[in-house]
Amino acid sequence: MLKRNRYMDRGTCLVWVFGDYADYFQNRVTLQLIAKGKALASELGTRVGVVVLGEDIGQYVMEYVAHGADVIYAADNNALKDYDVELFTAVAASWVEIFRPEIFLAGATAFGRELFPRIAKRLRTGLSADCVALEIDRETGAFVQTTPAFGGDLLADVVTPVMRPQMATVHPGIFRELPHDPFALAELIHPPLPNLPERKIEVVRRRKEKARRASLTDAGVVIVGGKGVGSRANFDKLFQLAELLGGEVGATRPAVNAGWAGEERLLGQTGKSVRPRLLITIGTSGALQYTAGIRGSETVIAVNRDHSAPIFGLADLGIVGDADRILSLLIEELNRRL
Amino acid sequence: MEGIRSGAVSAHHNYMISGMLRPGFLVGDPGSAKGFYLLADFLLPGENTPRISGRFFDERGDMLLELTWNRLMLDPADCLYRPTPYGFHLSKSSGEIILETTTRRFPNGYITSFSGRLYDEKGVLKLDQEGSSARLVGNDSIMLTAPYQGCFGKEKKNA
Amino acid sequence: MHIAVCIKQVPDVAAVRIDRERMTIVREGVQNIINPSDYQALSLALALRAGLGGTLTVLTMGPPQSEEALFEAIAAGADRGVLLTDPCFAGADTLATSHVLARAISRLEPLPSVVFCGNNTTDSDTGHVGPQVAEELGLPQVCGIFEVQPESLQTLLAKRVRDGYLETIRAACPVLFTVKGVSEPVLLPGLGSLQSAFSAGSIVRWGRNELDLTMDETGLTGSATRVWRLRAAPHRTKGEILTGQAHDLVKEILKRLEAMSLVEEEQIHG
Repeated sequence: MLKRNRYMDRGTCLVWVFGDYADYFQNRVTLQLIAKGKALASELGTRVGVVVLGEDIGQYVMEYVAHGADVIYAADNNALKDYDVELFTAVAASWVEIFRPEIFLAGATAFGRELFPRIAKRLRTGLSADCVALEIDRETGAFVQTTPAFGGDLLADVVTPVMRPQMATVHPGIFRELPHDPFALAELIHPPLPNLPERKIEVVRRRKEKARRASLTDAGVVIVGGKGVGSRANFDKLFQLAELLGGEVGATRPAVNAGWAGEERLLGQTGKSVRPRLLITIGTSGALQYTAGIRGSETVIAVNRDHSAPIFGLADLGIVGDADRILSLLIEELNRRL
Repeated sequence: MEGIRSGAVSAHHNYMISGMLRPGFLVGDPGSAKGFYLLADFLLPGENTPRISGRFFDERGDMLLELTWNRLMLDPADCLYRPTPYGFHLSKSSGEIILETTTRRFPNGYITSFSGRLYDEKGVLKLDQEGSSARLVGNDSIMLTAPYQGCFGKEKKNA
Repeated sequence: MHIAVCIKQVPDVAAVRIDRERMTIVREGVQNIINPSDYQALSLALALRAGLGGTLTVLTMGPPQSEEALFEAIAAGADRGVLLTDPCFAGADTLATSHVLARAISRLEPLPSVVFCGNNTTDSDTGHVGPQVAEELGLPQVCGIFEVQPESLQTLLAKRVRDGYLETIRAACPVLFTVKGVSEPVLLPGLGSLQSAFSAGSIVRWGRNELDLTMDETGLTGSATRVWRLRAAPHRTKGEILTGQAHDLVKEILKRLEAMSLVEEEQIHG
């Protein structure tokens, strides 16, 4: 007869991940957290589970299984059709009270950042924001959540000593997802739904944002210019480059002050923060006021004439060269290829 | 804990049955010579068509047909088997639906759901229609987490 | 309509320096400002009040000098300020901070129909306080709005950008909004006046006793998290720095873009 599978070896599942499937094939942070959660779970001798709420979520359930989830806690219900902070809080918090996980993680996505504070508050437990590292301290067994502080120049190691679960939102792109395994099997659990509150928030219109003003913070590619760009004419080339790469243009304070870009493009402490997949920063020295706004970028390419510029300290690729020359050649080459 | 339903789920393919995903399930005994069964077999990566077998009856307990691996093998009641773009459709000669399968494909996996009504040889309802999907009646189903290794009625003596 | 706005005074982070050897923050000579997104929240609240009429109350939790932020808000047109200050409030994480703010808001009369918060602060940047105040008050929340307009007597229409989409959201009062991305927040000091700011009674001061809070609910003891240690962020070491001919350097950039699938790899013919 049938062999017992590993999934049947029932055990506790004490590390939970919130399954944020919005924009699934682009937004990989949930998969990254499943991988990290699995590593944490094996240190704790437990399993990793993913909470998936919504309607018609089968596809996502299967993706999470393929990427390493041991347990799926799912509610497939018309009332949960669209993301809603209050509804999702009610369900997730009630399930935490049933299963009592030790750790509960979510990606620091727009929704994760909105949902998790609310769940943590309802459960009267601690939450750390936008973590860049997670580990179990070998000496004390504490779950250490590392989060950037003071514009990212310092790291704070945060613990939640007493309350459970220990909750954290995690910066996208920090951990690596496990490869897709079509052979994977997991345990699927449909816990009971609590009484659901009525929806009080209604999205009446939703359209792709075209206005440049606001999409900078959501852009996948950001090109930033600083004083070293040299002139307004050179700065205009940043827009060409951004256009070619489907990105947006940001500016440092000196570039804004020079009138090359509007205040709405200002990045940094007094401006916007961006978290693109790719940030190309040109003619910027790397002052803290500016770099605080770009620390969330996944890949940073910096172009600067001065090889000792601090910006190179946080660049994945540093190019020592003339901003204008590099920009012109890069645009020329992209025009040729695209 | 009451009210908590659980089971297995596969990364590759699942059947949507009774509101849950299941990698495979079996009701009744395919090895019996005459009795009702429904086998929704576990599929391995690489396979891309759900494998359904069964011996179905009408509400009076009269045999309608026997299906082995999606193929109509016995058809005493002159039923109709029709492939569809998403699966197959089984109906009585009167046109009344017996069972329909619908497979939805995603980039990395697929899900098969059912609609229809199935009865056993005593005319007892075994699969019921619930909204747009199907629900197993009773709790005598077995979850499959590997392909069915047992035999079908005619092969029994060789097993 | 009664509108409440939660603001926080933060050090002007642009001016803060970090002493990496002693792992301390050098605050000397650093000005305190209203946290930028709180400032934006205040500007939306003032605009909404200008349209609807009513009262606007500004709350802040912090050390006594945080009163300056309330003065600034009243000078810009807020009607009154509530300073939440008590030595035992110090060291609070977002759980304890939101508890004090929510308790204070629940003591306002009449209860506010709309509560505004900044989306996140520049000093700790968690973005937790708004949703946690909403949770404790049992209010729905809409985070990250940059515009809000009355739609009817009881409903508001707010706009935000989320995941590349411009969303218009209908919310019934009472509701809590967090604000970010207002392109040009303006506070018009002409609306109020410094005189009214300094006049008696425009600012009340509430501590633990006034809010009927126990020691266990506030400050460090009311917090669920602890900062275990602060350490310097390691400089990234994975980066490589290249010099050379501009053509070769651009090729290196293109290689990275190819690796990220932002441009297609050059076809090799023949």
